Amino acid sequence: MRKIVEAEKESQQILEATRREISELRKDVPNKVASMRQQILREATEQREKALAEADRIAGQEAAQIALEAKERVESLSKIPRDKRKQAVDRAMELLLS
Amino acid sequence: MSANLDKLLEDILKESRAKAEEIKEEGLTQIEDTLSKARADAVREADLIARNTKTECDATVNRRVSQEKQKARLAYLIAKNNVLDEVMNEVQTGLVHFCRDDSRYRALLLKWIMRGMEAVPSDAIMVALSESDLRRYGGSKLLEDTLAKTQTPKTVVLNSESIKTIGGTVVMSRDNKVRVDCTLEARLGLMKTELLAEISRILFAS
Repeated sequence: MRKIVEAEKESQQILEATRREISELRKDVPNKVASMRQQILREATEQREKALAEADRIAGQEAAQIALEAKERVESLSKIPRDKRKQAVDRAMELLLS
Repeated sequence: MSANLDKLLEDILKESRAKAEEIKEEGLTQIEDTLSKARADAVREADLIARNTKTECDATVNRRVSQEKQKARLAYLIAKNNVLDEVMNEVQTGLVHFCRDDSRYRALLLKWIMRGMEAVPSDAIMVALSESDLRRYGGSKLLEDTLAKTQTPKTVVLNSESIKTIGGTVVMSRDNKVRVDCTLEARLGLMKTELLAEISRILFAS
């Protein structure tokens, strides 16, 4: 009978040890969750910063290209041939004096 | 008897070990589920950040490009207007030279006086000229030539008061109630849109 009681006792100890082990593991869950979340969001934030910097670089490049083309277009206006300007003046006078 | 007892003890411990294993497995599964759910939530949040970032990046590029394009359009428009202003100045200079060319200018003046006379619904007409034109044509037969060409019963006199103009005339009824402005400035004003369109067509059409 004594041996049976001891076996029951040992059996309870096994179960309690397991419950303690799981309880310890559960206690650590919030820390694990926080750490995992922090890591995932940190990576997302880093990606965001990289993407924004890249977008800024691309925007700068495109803006510079547009500015260059605009400068060329504006410069082309000062290169209108003299005879074309004369043609425009003559045509305007023709219309005015008709 | 002893063998039975040993078997019983062994069964007790075996059962408790099995139960412990079950508790452990259930606990670990719950923990793993909690972690998986938390990971999925964080990943979803990260995906949202990524999607918002994409939108923000596109907006950054579009905004910058749009601003630069607007700046470019404005710069081109200003430059084009400068060219148009220069050409219009050349036109004005051309008109001044034209008015000094007596033979061509006199014919035009005559034509415009005739037009003015036709437009003014009065038999007594007065013609106003610039100071220089008054000096040039005051004693000439400008009005007689006009009347001869129009063959009108209307009477016409020169106004002794001059008008300020590069060239042209203001034709009015003698009572000054009806005035027809046939000066170059008036024509320039009336025709400015048409002139700018025509000049633009010649200069900028590609």
